[in-house]
Amino acid sequence: MSDNKKAPDGLSVAMTLDAKGLSCPMPLLRTKKEIEKIKSGEILEVLGTDPGSRNDIPGWCSRSGHEYLGEKEDSGFIRFYVKKK
Amino acid sequence: MKLTEKFAEVHNAFFKKTWSPMTGGILLAFLAILMVIWQRPWGIVGGLRNWADWFFYLIGLYGEAPKHALYYSSSVMDLGLLAGAWISAVIAKEFAFRMPPMLEIWKGAIAGIFMGLGATLAFGCNVGGFYCAIQNLSASGFTMMIGLILGVIVGLKYIYWEMEHLMPGPAGPTFLDKLPPFLGYVAVIGLIVAAYLYAGSSVEGVPLMAGYLLIGAGIGFVFHRSRLCMVNGFREPFMTGEAAMGKAVAVSIILGTIGIGLLKFGGLRETELYVEAAFGWGSLVGGFIFGTAMVVAGGCGSGSLWRVAEGQIKLWVVILTFALSNSIFRHYFGEWGIMEKLGYAVYMPDHMGYGGTIILVMISMALWYLVIDWNEETSKFVMEM
Repeated sequence: MSDNKKAPDGLSVAMTLDAKGLSCPMPLLRTKKEIEKIKSGEILEVLGTDPGSRNDIPGWCSRSGHEYLGEKEDSGFIRFYVKKK
Repeated sequence: MKLTEKFAEVHNAFFKKTWSPMTGGILLAFLAILMVIWQRPWGIVGGLRNWADWFFYLIGLYGEAPKHALYYSSSVMDLGLLAGAWISAVIAKEFAFRMPPMLEIWKGAIAGIFMGLGATLAFGCNVGGFYCAIQNLSASGFTMMIGLILGVIVGLKYIYWEMEHLMPGPAGPTFLDKLPPFLGYVAVIGLIVAAYLYAGSSVEGVPLMAGYLLIGAGIGFVFHRSRLCMVNGFREPFMTGEAAMGKAVAVSIILGTIGIGLLKFGGLRETELYVEAAFGWGSLVGGFIFGTAMVVAGGCGSGSLWRVAEGQIKLWVVILTFALSNSIFRHYFGEWGIMEKLGYAVYMPDHMGYGGTIILVMISMALWYLVIDWNEETSKFVMEM
């Protein structure tokens, strides 16, 4: 069983990916693609509405070596934060 | 720790935190066995087809009225699954109607049509044609599995192509995302009342609906809590290498096979249950078409249905076209005599005994488990974008 990790405040985001309305596996695939566009150490913010991303994005981060910083609830969507390795 | 704090902790663990896929897989096997003990194996597409049959009957395309949706086992199982998944989603505050971009709606509509065709050829979707078919010792489950794997690779190639060439466009609104969790508990009471009403009926066969409804609801609840997804189980080894879902499905099939195999071995259930004449090109080609389409849809038969209960509009579209196309294909393929030419009904114990069959299922699923677990570490089969 997993808890949803909360992201710290004040993160400086290099790029934002709008994946709202997309369902599995598109949010993760678009995240994989977009993270190639930022530099090591920079943060990608992913906006999503699929609750499945709460498992998919952290799971992918742990396998790929990127750091999953957590999520924040917003109005009708979730913000996910990934720091590129 | 106070008792109230412990209660909150247990409630949180049960209703709010996501269960592991393996927990989901083990519980799903238990419920699949329970369904057979109750009367008949679990299925998805039969219920969806029943609803679509009604539509075509009411517009005058079909001459014969289908079975009543509230008194037909497959339909009641699906209603139970929807209710169980909705209860889980509402209590966990994960329910919302999520309007996808237009591209996703089109993908869902087209993929659903092909899922309907694939499930017709294979005599079932990933549940009846693969998961439950193997558990019920039908050889066609294995041929559908081969078709599903090949189809998933093609579906993934399409998704990768789409990533490079198409943009999804803006999403629509998200609404009804603040339903109060107590509605989930109200729905639990509603389910229990409905089960009592079924159980108290004097009409022949109707009391059985109580079990289909409640076990179906248990399946929906387990699916949503664990986010168990057979598409994910087949797709992720090729997409990210992740193997958790695939391993859970493999273990689930082994457990279910042992349970249902023993029921059939003991003569407690008819051996021909879920042994369809699909061993051959029907389940292979049907599995391939279904496997390709389910990747594009983002949900298989079961995965689409529990996501419907979560409010994902794309999967509503998938289920709609899946049901309609399966009804049409099944109806006309039946009329044209195609359904009799899809393959053979092969009950594996007739050829290798019960022991041999269960060992074959255990070895093949263990092999699958081993390969995807190894792939998770080595990424040997991961297809790069």
